[in-house]
Amino acid sequence: MIRISTSMIFDQGVFNMQNATSALLKTQNQISAGRKLLTPADDPVAAARSLEVSQSQAITDQYARNTDSATASLGLSDNALAGVTTLLQNVKTLAVNAGDGSLTQSDLSSIATALRSNYQQLLGLSNSTDGNGQYLFSGFQGSTQPFAELSPGVVAYQGDQGQRRVQISASRQVESSDAGSDIFQLIKTGNRTFTTTAVAGNTGTGIVSPGTVTNAAAWNAAGNPKDFTVKFFVDNTVSPPVTTYDIVDNTTGNSLLTGGASGAGPYLRTYTDAGTITLATQSPPDTNPTPFDYGATLSVSGQPATGDSFTVKTSTNQDIFTTLNDLITAVDNAQRTATGAADLFNALNTAQSNLNNTLDNILRVRASIGTRLNEVDAAKSSANDLSDQYASTLSGLRDLDYAKSISDLARQQITLQAAQQSFAKVNGLSLFNFLG
Amino acid sequence: MGTGSIFNIGVSGLNAAQASLAVTSHNIANASTDGFHRQTALQGTENPQGTGVGFFGRGVDVETVRRAYSQFLDNAVLTAQTQGSYLDTYNSQISQIDNLLADPSAGLSPALQSFFSSVQDVASNPSSVPSRQAMITQGQVLSARFQALDTQLTQMRTGVNQQLTDTVTQINAKAQSIAQLNEQISMVQSNANQPPNDLLDKRDQLVADLNQLVRTSVVKQSDGSYSVFIGNGQTLVLGNQAYSLSAAPSAADQKDYSISYIANGATVPISTSTLQGGSLGALLDFRSQSLDTAQNNLGRVAIVLAQTFNDQHELGQDLNGNLGQAFFNVPAGQVVTNANNTGTAVINATDSSVGALTGSDYRLSFNAGTWTLTRLSDNTTSTFATFPQTVDGVTLSLASGAAANGDSYLIQPTRTGARDISVAIADTSLVAAAAPVRASAAAANTGDGKISAGSVNSPPPPNANLQNAVTITFTSATTFNVTGTGTGNPTGVAYTSNGNITYNGWSVQITGTPAAGDVFTIGPNTAGVADNRNALLLAGLQTVNTVANGTANYQSAYSLIVSSIGNRANDIKVQSTAQTALVQQTTAAQQSLSGVNLDEEAANLIRFQQAYQANGKVIQIASTLFATILGINS
Repeated sequence: MIRISTSMIFDQGVFNMQNATSALLKTQNQISAGRKLLTPADDPVAAARSLEVSQSQAITDQYARNTDSATASLGLSDNALAGVTTLLQNVKTLAVNAGDGSLTQSDLSSIATALRSNYQQLLGLSNSTDGNGQYLFSGFQGSTQPFAELSPGVVAYQGDQGQRRVQISASRQVESSDAGSDIFQLIKTGNRTFTTTAVAGNTGTGIVSPGTVTNAAAWNAAGNPKDFTVKFFVDNTVSPPVTTYDIVDNTTGNSLLTGGASGAGPYLRTYTDAGTITLATQSPPDTNPTPFDYGATLSVSGQPATGDSFTVKTSTNQDIFTTLNDLITAVDNAQRTATGAADLFNALNTAQSNLNNTLDNILRVRASIGTRLNEVDAAKSSANDLSDQYASTLSGLRDLDYAKSISDLARQQITLQAAQQSFAKVNGLSLFNFLG
Repeated sequence: MGTGSIFNIGVSGLNAAQASLAVTSHNIANASTDGFHRQTALQGTENPQGTGVGFFGRGVDVETVRRAYSQFLDNAVLTAQTQGSYLDTYNSQISQIDNLLADPSAGLSPALQSFFSSVQDVASNPSSVPSRQAMITQGQVLSARFQALDTQLTQMRTGVNQQLTDTVTQINAKAQSIAQLNEQISMVQSNANQPPNDLLDKRDQLVADLNQLVRTSVVKQSDGSYSVFIGNGQTLVLGNQAYSLSAAPSAADQKDYSISYIANGATVPISTSTLQGGSLGALLDFRSQSLDTAQNNLGRVAIVLAQTFNDQHELGQDLNGNLGQAFFNVPAGQVVTNANNTGTAVINATDSSVGALTGSDYRLSFNAGTWTLTRLSDNTTSTFATFPQTVDGVTLSLASGAAANGDSYLIQPTRTGARDISVAIADTSLVAAAAPVRASAAAANTGDGKISAGSVNSPPPPNANLQNAVTITFTSATTFNVTGTGTGNPTGVAYTSNGNITYNGWSVQITGTPAAGDVFTIGPNTAGVADNRNALLLAGLQTVNTVANGTANYQSAYSLIVSSIGNRANDIKVQSTAQTALVQQTTAAQQSLSGVNLDEEAANLIRFQQAYQANGKVIQIASTLFATILGINS
């Protein structure tokens, strides 16, 4: 039998009640805080893990906010470019209208006026700003006006080629802006490989086509000077008059048909209206001992006069404002003569090619913006999903199982009550109670 | 035989019963006295009287009053309590850090996350003044959070110093009392030749109390006095002589108190490692194991954050078009010169590579021309003869003077990191969100080559020629020439699509097929207010593993502190619970022998009362017998 000391009965009783109270208090604390983890000591691994998960969640939420900002700025760009698209379609219609031979001089000048207003509108759209007054299309230089009209018809790009990026997921940055140079400035002329132009001062009615590349490899071959002139000669001594043409390599000045210097004419190839002019040896009639093939064709329609010539040059970049200004100038200066009509047609053809190229470029940028908007949307919804996932992981790590805790609380309460009641009972027992 | 002897027997019984009643009353009175051992009056028969017909008893005699004492059981309680007190004190100290890190909304994490969110906002709106202001403000909030955590830890350090002083005062008082009791006990014992039970109880209780403060070893001397030894065998009590300890700023680090032993007026430091157990041992262990580690590691997060953020910030360009400045003030490590140094050497410690910082402190000591550097976390040493030396990302150099033999220095590379971090800029335009260079393709280019926006190579400082205009001119589809100050104007450089082209501290990539004559230029990012390239890189630092040799990011380095403190607190709590149960068990065993049971004492009261009454009856009968004799003559 173990001897029990009276103070032990008290100490043990108090010790047990303290244990029960502290367990009860902890459960009560957990319930009132709604957290399983009151201090890191409760579960050190879960505490550290929950910190890292909460950082991942915060970052993911930030990505979702970033996608909002990307969506906003891409949306602004797309709006502005939608305006540009409509405007260019108007301009194309006006250019087609200007080609109507029945138009009077005043009709043309009203078309020119309409074109001028479009030009001003375009300048405004290219200088669009976001909600903070920052220019959309000036690259990195948000407070620099991207397109400034230095003199009538001459617009300079003052921004740069920078594209701002936004972090939309851990591994992906998406461009949220596009540089004005890429949208409005770097647009190839002609058929994008070469451009055909009627030389100013032509006296005939020849209208040159934009031409096509039939063999890209031949055009890009190393020996191609990419700079030619097609010259015409009309032999009026015979009836009907015979028109012949020569193709001159502008870098050497020699005729590609003969291999020698190009004279005054007549030339080796005979011209037919709208017939194909091939930039390749056609023997006969060509006599050049060194055959050439630059893989391109063009055609001229109408009746060129002696000395009329058309150039074929490699495409260069031309901005949208120059294209529009050239069109306005051509419409403005149109003469109601046969030669003037041909000049106008040639100018309108050039303008149509360039406008098509411009429109294609705008649509290309808009398609790219659309793709990015889709990507940003997808990134946002996946960020939201991920954030939910992190939230549920966090909740698993930190949050309390209320049902379990409340039943624990009830159980601990009963334990404490039992300890208190039994303590009072046991302490009531003393032999001294019976000593009277 | 006569009636007189019956009288005497009755009286001896009466006396014995009275003595036992007195002892029982003493037990009842001291039922709740700490350290009291129940006493019993030991009775024995008087020597008998020999007669011709045999030996007649002469009654009872009280031989001694004995306390129910077992050295084994008392020592078991004492040992358990020493460890229990150690764990309780450690637990109450570490709970403070544990609670400090407990609240998920009050730790470092929310401030860290808000700061990087604000950097992302700047990346999304690089020219927005409110976004920039938010980034600076959140940087200040983050610094303040670091400082607040550090202040709490420093307060705990001050608290430890205060408690060390208090504990040492108590130890000295206990030692003094034990010495006094030693004197009384040896005096009383030699005079009475009986154990002074209550004095012994008192002394044993003092020894038990002392052992709750610090573990001691007690040797009982032949004269009954206790000799008490502490630490490495330093005498705390010898006979009636008590020696004292003192708590004072340590020579190695004046911010931390250490314990010294005062002997003959000289103060000798006691090695911390020999002061084990009890609350004193717990305070010292808590400081070196948990507090130093937490404060150093928190400081390391602050230093690495400040330095790596600055490194990237200084590669950027602010709203005014200047290269970025430091965003944070980077805290420096500190070197504490030992107060006992006799030489004049001044040692400097600078961070040369923050990623390599360990969070440990170091002791640098000089002897016979050789410097020895000891990493205190694992006691690895390295020796060298000359400065500068770089160890674990810290470069040590001799600023001035010369060291004398035995000089030592305490190097704390990260201790003050969290205290000293602050935001260095206040002007929103100084946030370097942009990159200082940009690249462009000439409008007249005929090829379809595209050039990337360009990035600045780390580490800072940026190349002096960084913002010089550089032109890349393609001479064919596969080669290009480079012109511009600082590039060395190379010609005929081979072109690879998307290959890195690096000059003057920047890198760009050209993709696609450029044509001969195509020109690309790289130059200053003048007026690049909407550029966010550097802000994106700054925001990206949040998840880059920059701490502890590239094994942890800022957040995980902080989580490491939380989990290591949590683990330690948890461990201590579990041990403490187990130890409480052990104390409870050993106390129960000790009380089972030595404790007072009131029921038992009540029964004893009745027993000795009855014995008293019975002996009284004996006297009454003896008296009657005597009266009978007297009545014969009447």
